[in-house]
Amino acid sequence: MNDRRALPAPPPVAGRVLDAGLDLLDRQILDPDGVPVSTVDDLELTTPDDPAHLDPEHPPVISALLTGPILLTRVFGGRLPDSRFIRIPWKVVTDPGVVLSVGVHADSLDASWTERWMRDHVIARIPGGRHDPE
Amino acid sequence: MKALFAVALGVLTAIGGFVDIGDLVTSSVVGSRFGLTLTWVVIVGVIGICLFAQMSGRVAAVSGRATFEIIRERLGARMALANLSASFLINLLTLAAEVGGIALAMQLASSISPDLWFPVAAFAVWLVVWRVKFSILENVTGMLGLALVVFAVALFALHPDWMSLGSQVLLQPSPHTDESSATYWYYAIALFGAAMTPYEVFFFSSGAIEEKWKPKDLTQSRINVLVGFPLGGLLTLSIAACAAVVLLPKGIAVQSLFETALPVAQALGKIGLIVAILGFVAATFGAALEVTLSSGYTLAQFFGWPWGKFRKPASASRFHVVMIVSLLAALGILFTGVDPVQVTEFSVVFSAIALPLTYLPILIVANDPKYMGDKANGKVTNFFGLIYLGVILVASVAAIPLMIVTGAGA
Repeated sequence: MNDRRALPAPPPVAGRVLDAGLDLLDRQILDPDGVPVSTVDDLELTTPDDPAHLDPEHPPVISALLTGPILLTRVFGGRLPDSRFIRIPWKVVTDPGVVLSVGVHADSLDASWTERWMRDHVIARIPGGRHDPE
Repeated sequence: MKALFAVALGVLTAIGGFVDIGDLVTSSVVGSRFGLTLTWVVIVGVIGICLFAQMSGRVAAVSGRATFEIIRERLGARMALANLSASFLINLLTLAAEVGGIALAMQLASSISPDLWFPVAAFAVWLVVWRVKFSILENVTGMLGLALVVFAVALFALHPDWMSLGSQVLLQPSPHTDESSATYWYYAIALFGAAMTPYEVFFFSSGAIEEKWKPKDLTQSRINVLVGFPLGGLLTLSIAACAAVVLLPKGIAVQSLFETALPVAQALGKIGLIVAILGFVAATFGAALEVTLSSGYTLAQFFGWPWGKFRKPASASRFHVVMIVSLLAALGILFTGVDPVQVTEFSVVFSAIALPLTYLPILIVANDPKYMGDKANGKVTNFFGLIYLGVILVASVAAIPLMIVTGAGA
């Protein structure tokens, strides 16, 4: 796994090179207002037609950032049924910097449903929950 | 006055982190058993926490990233989850101890059983976390905590033999006690762990973001660290010195806050005692706030949730739910009937074990130009950072064996 010589040199690409493990995984995702959405818990790649022989012209690409319970299977192993996947499509990512910026609001994403659920069912019902601290 | 409040974050972090219930008790236990022989540990601890708190504050001000976000980005999900589990558990134990500490301090003032104070204290902590602005919270508790300076005043009023106190600092190991060397090192690690508890950096770096520090505030951050933590160290030492002067010669063992306050009562009478109790309440209350917030900060930063008191509770709902649940869990721990003082002593030693996983990522990110631009660590900071990482590693490996060998310092 650490034997880098066994890997062929990547084809030259225009633009920035990101290491998916280092620059994407476990990074914070922020919406346009700077509201945290989630952390990148895992990545979903497109499946090539023939996994045994990768076509260098059409490599697998990242289709979505994954979050939620997928973290547990990433850490402890196992497989998650597809219905439990929470995806943030790669096409909404606007800037992969120190944090990943997405171009849609946190409230419009499935990734923050627990935040909304806790807000509507718990926090907003406690007096003062919707006001700024004084 | 403005300049005084400008160092409030450092003072609160230090009063709450350094001089919390664990430290109030540990330092007077140490003072009553070892005299001032462990002074060097407090000094080493103060320098260490200054170094790393300043580093985490600088990372927060420059990159806008709080410590636990960095821990996850740099250690990966697996190691960060291990750190989170350990830190969160330690936080919970510490929170139970601090809420218990408020109750014990209130008991000293009111003679009402601590059992009745537990829920009141926990509710008061929640109310402040729920409704009070961060700046008010840090100013009020930080300033009230300064009442503990009464221990330094008491030390002078006791007219101790300064030569003999000085010789306790320098003569190693102390000729004054017959404690075994394993016990000596066990308490050395406890004091070191109490000085460098991870929740202090979680709180300090998250507080820097709550206060919206920017790179231009770096000087303020440095002053905060350099005023706050040494002040905490001085208060710790004066508590230990008071115990060394009054309790050690008479062989009085420290079992509760009452013995901690005893030297002040002897030196300054009732007024001194009242001020000391005020200081106890402020320090334990500040620590309880700090730990409650830290439990929310760590979990929210690990999972990437919205967090912070600069948001409305409704805009950081999971953060607030975590804090409510933590306070309830702490109450649950207290109502099992454990001694809050003992809980802190354990949590302090356990935090020594979790230290490396917290301080290594801070050191790595403080060197990363992607995060830090031209504000990355200099050679001198890195040199001391690495030395401290070595010390932290040794302390974390030695903590459990020493705990077993000494029967937790008995």
